[in-house]
Amino acid sequence: MNQLLQEPTQDGSQRTWFGNVYSAIRSTASGMGVTLRHLFSKPVTLQYPEERPIVDDRYRGVHYLEQDLCIYCDACAKACPIDCIDMEAVRHGKELEWKTFTVDYQKCMHCELCVYPCPKDCIHLGQEITHLAEDRSDLVHELLSYTGLTEEQKVRIAEAEAKKAAKKAALAAKKATEVKEPTEAEDPAETQDAVETENPEEEQKDG
Amino acid sequence: MGIVQFLSDLLPETIPYWALVLLGAGIAFAIIIAFVSVVAIFSVWLERKVAGHIQSRLGPMYVGGWHGWAQSIADGIKLILKEDVILTDADRPLFKLAPCIVLGTALAAFVAVPFAPGVVPADINLGVFFIVAVSSLTTIGVLMAGWGSNNKWSLYGAMREAAQVASYEIPLGLSLMMPVMYFGSFSLSQASEMQAGWGGLHWYIFSDSFWIAIPSFVLFFTAALAETKRAPFDLPESESELVAGFHTEYSGIRFSFFFMEEYAAMYLMSAIGTALWFGGWNFPGLYLLEGTALFTPLAIAVFVVKSMFLVFVMMWVRWTVPRIRIDQVMALGYKYLTPIGLFLVLVASVWEYIKFSMMGV
Repeated sequence: MNQLLQEPTQDGSQRTWFGNVYSAIRSTASGMGVTLRHLFSKPVTLQYPEERPIVDDRYRGVHYLEQDLCIYCDACAKACPIDCIDMEAVRHGKELEWKTFTVDYQKCMHCELCVYPCPKDCIHLGQEITHLAEDRSDLVHELLSYTGLTEEQKVRIAEAEAKKAAKKAALAAKKATEVKEPTEAEDPAETQDAVETENPEEEQKDG
Repeated sequence: MGIVQFLSDLLPETIPYWALVLLGAGIAFAIIIAFVSVVAIFSVWLERKVAGHIQSRLGPMYVGGWHGWAQSIADGIKLILKEDVILTDADRPLFKLAPCIVLGTALAAFVAVPFAPGVVPADINLGVFFIVAVSSLTTIGVLMAGWGSNNKWSLYGAMREAAQVASYEIPLGLSLMMPVMYFGSFSLSQASEMQAGWGGLHWYIFSDSFWIAIPSFVLFFTAALAETKRAPFDLPESESELVAGFHTEYSGIRFSFFFMEEYAAMYLMSAIGTALWFGGWNFPGLYLLEGTALFTPLAIAVFVVKSMFLVFVMMWVRWTVPRIRIDQVMALGYKYLTPIGLFLVLVASVWEYIKFSMMGV
């Protein structure tokens, strides 16, 4: 009887009728214990659309752009091995009027090569993990948060233009005085101009 | 008290007896089909939740709000609205009749299930025998489905089902002999009544024959899993080998009939287990309410909860044990369960004889 109740070995050489019954009951019972533990354990899944997985800081997800830092140098687009970055802007002196800055996620492979050459460190691969689109054209993401000129930019451009105009005027006036009275160095009109042109510069610095 | 008796008391005497019988049958059928539909809908949802949580998932979570409770209702509506495809090469009469026979036999077996004292559609004194006999008729419907589909996978599934059910009828019948010998009756309602002692806890599984009751219940439960084609005995519809087995070619409402039959059969087997081993509607303290209006609904609730727990255990087994091979199914049936059943019948008959003759119990 002791021999008959022996537990079966791995190679099955000692399998007996009673051993089979015993091992079937024992393995089923232990398996049901495992599943019962899992039944009351916390699920490991996320309710996806509501909950998003917390990804690593270095995760290479969807791009995001710090638009105000960007200088439209095109370094990222040049670095891109599959040319999925497309940008367009108009320069107004130092200010940029952004038209478009797109990444085509039909092509993008998240290689991060666009991030390294950026001189201003303004393009990043973010934490967003999905590209969901109903249409192919929706996969071309616009990274700009605004296009065209903002009010601030308009003010700064106007100031810069005013400054330029003032400088021009000053230069013209200087030229005129030089031509008219080359000996007279201190012209009251010229000092007045200089003060006027310096003032907006200071304001700009303060601002 | 049967439904016909109740109706003849209620209605004027001018109505002929056959009309009463037909009316009673219609009412019983309506109640049973409503009950089975609700049980199937709930069981499908429960199965998906149990499966999910066992696999550390959540299962359905959206439809209806709270934990996706309306998921299986939505699935049912989808199945009803789906196109009903009948193959050109199918044997049309057999193909159309098979789902009805399968579901019909499962529903017919519910006639003898005792939900509460007096709440039995038909109190048959051979209830155990009737349920085992009728529920195994499902095999004929499955064979018709397999043959009528004109598909080799369907036929394989149906033949496996036939072989499996025929094999496991023997241990199932043998395992039911132990409670029958203990109660001295084939009637399920009588068995339930006899377990009312000890304040409602004198169940067969806790009685002086518990050492026979426990192995006989394990035997019954294993055979019932095979009878209802549940994992690990789901070879007739093993999706890794036979697409979906005998219901491969069915779609829409006909498929949902097969689906409902599976859960109805599960509930039916659990109901037999509850009535014979786990005290039927008896529950500690419930006898205090006897005679009040609350008693019958509570007794029904106790019975349903107990059988749903056994349904849950079936699901638990399904998501634990992998499917076994057909030769292993046959070996388990003929080499293990049948000898164990015969041995238990011998032991139980000797034990009941000793109890009866020497102790006079």
